[in-house]
Amino acid sequence: MSILEEPIKEVKVLKNYIDGEWVESQGELKDVVNPATGKTIAKVPISTNEELNKAIEAAKEAYPYWRRTTPLARVRCLFRLKELMEENFEELSRIQTIEHGKTIDESRGETRRGIENVEVATGIPSLMMGSNLEDIATGIDEYMIRQPIGVFGLICPFNFPFMVPLWFAPYAVATGNCIVMKPSSEVPLTQLKVAELAEEAGIPPGVWNVVNGGRTVVSGLLDSPDIKGICFVGSTPTGKNVVYKRCGETGKKVIAGCGAKNCLVIMPDAVLDKTIAGLMTSIYGNAGQRCLAGTNIIIVGEDEAFYRKFRDAFVEKASKIRVGNGLDESVQMGPVRDKTKKERIVSYIEKGIKEGAKLTLDGRNVNIIGNYPDTCFLGPTLFEEVNPDMSIAQEEIFGPVATFMRAKTLDKAIDIIHNIPFGNSAGIFTQSGKWAREFQYKTECGNIGINIGVAAPMAFFPFSGMKDSFFGNLHPQGQEVIRFFTESKVVIQRWL
Amino acid sequence: MKLNTTSAVISFSKELEDNSVKYYENLIQKYPQNKEIFLSFIKENKKNIVSVQRVYQEVISDAIEGCFSFEDLDTDAYTFDTELPKDLSYSDVLEKAIKIEERIQKYYSDSAEMSKSLMADIPRVFERIAKKRDKRKMELESIKCK
Repeated sequence: MSILEEPIKEVKVLKNYIDGEWVESQGELKDVVNPATGKTIAKVPISTNEELNKAIEAAKEAYPYWRRTTPLARVRCLFRLKELMEENFEELSRIQTIEHGKTIDESRGETRRGIENVEVATGIPSLMMGSNLEDIATGIDEYMIRQPIGVFGLICPFNFPFMVPLWFAPYAVATGNCIVMKPSSEVPLTQLKVAELAEEAGIPPGVWNVVNGGRTVVSGLLDSPDIKGICFVGSTPTGKNVVYKRCGETGKKVIAGCGAKNCLVIMPDAVLDKTIAGLMTSIYGNAGQRCLAGTNIIIVGEDEAFYRKFRDAFVEKASKIRVGNGLDESVQMGPVRDKTKKERIVSYIEKGIKEGAKLTLDGRNVNIIGNYPDTCFLGPTLFEEVNPDMSIAQEEIFGPVATFMRAKTLDKAIDIIHNIPFGNSAGIFTQSGKWAREFQYKTECGNIGINIGVAAPMAFFPFSGMKDSFFGNLHPQGQEVIRFFTESKVVIQRWL
Repeated sequence: MKLNTTSAVISFSKELEDNSVKYYENLIQKYPQNKEIFLSFIKENKKNIVSVQRVYQEVISDAIEGCFSFEDLDTDAYTFDTELPKDLSYSDVLEKAIKIEERIQKYYSDSAEMSKSLMADIPRVFERIAKKRDKRKMELESIKCK
């Protein structure tokens, strides 16, 4: 099977996109490395506070004009952006693969998900409408309008370089706001390509800005009085202790999507082959670097024969997963993003062994398809005999590591889920409507899958999250994010 | 070769359609009779590539099992050579075309069956193309009988 051509041929120093111009940064440069090949594919600047302030200033200046641009004219830009994304679908997908490592199927899937958010945002003329009621008292009418707010800061993660920024950006812009986006410095290329397309689509200067960088840019966005709200997706410690806290102190609106430790419950009546396929994608897809990844697999019941059958089918499928360069079409799992992340995952594997879990599949001994350095590669890993209190069952590993736990009943399985601090997603595999409903009803998690490995909400639904997985009131995507990007203003009128 | 990922299967579909185009192009050069029919096959092959790729791009999503949708789909069962040896009669050439169409039809049917529960839209387009291939086979048989 062929290895697809890399979309970037030469190493360039990346620029910031500020006020409709591509601007060189004075900040120090950092290598962007393809985790599969180990080769540097670009150099990203760590921008200075002054550069960030220029972007914020540009957005602030553009805002009054953009706000007055009719919603129809605003979404025409997004229609053009959507078309440009479709035309550049393959390039956008391949960029994600070379900067992140995910397989080409996964990158294309991400591209589709991102475009769907642009599509939903083009419905703003209807979706942003307010409401009204006449005669709330004799001769008095009342109505509510949704108004944009100003400039928003977007702080984006490394694991979905295309899709996650688009949970926010198209809605912010369509509702009449301006944005300053900081892509992850590990995967900046995708969003710079999107900015190029946004420019080509005719989104006016200052409305859509991209500033590359690290902590300085994050702090600058959090502290700036001109930034009215922050959209953040990343780890729980940063989301909870830095972003959420700081937004509270500075009076900003905030969406902070954070870490996860998702459980998948296997009932004794689960359809095995379909369940296993769903689990492979959930656990090992994106090399486990997904906030919806299933990691704790809870097998319900005391039927040893069922457990062994399930375990054997799982091990057989997982051990056959082809690991390699995501541009190789035969590859089913790419590398993790970088060496440090691999080391962190390996440390969890070692911790699991120390804590007494049984290592059934050891991803440290990985067979890589093709001739690539093993710096960032890990194979599918599975622990059995895991106790719910072990750190590998409680903490987010963010890698291709599964744990098998046992529970006597569905209620006991739900107890295990509730004893984990996170509440992003949970799933159940069963043919019983009763069990499925009970699970959906009781489980305190934002996104529930029923015979679904990755319960990823479509663009017109909120991407939910609870407990330590989410901080804020309104979630990304759909109507909720439109409410986030607008203020409700109520008018009560009487004509005398 | 065994295929498991959707990307690999979509690329293999293109390869089969391209090879089938090559065969009919060779055929037309050697036997120009019924040229219009074979040109329509070529046109249809190209349309098939576009529709398969379009459906794939429109439905592929991180929520479905893109990397695990096909279980060891063996390409050896469906590949064919596009050569037309000099000593083949028109009837032999048509017979070979029928065999090629049978292989392609089987490929689309098998891969549709394999991915039915996971990738709804893709198996649907595969089934549609498989049906077209059945019709094409009948058309080739009727030319051969004339």
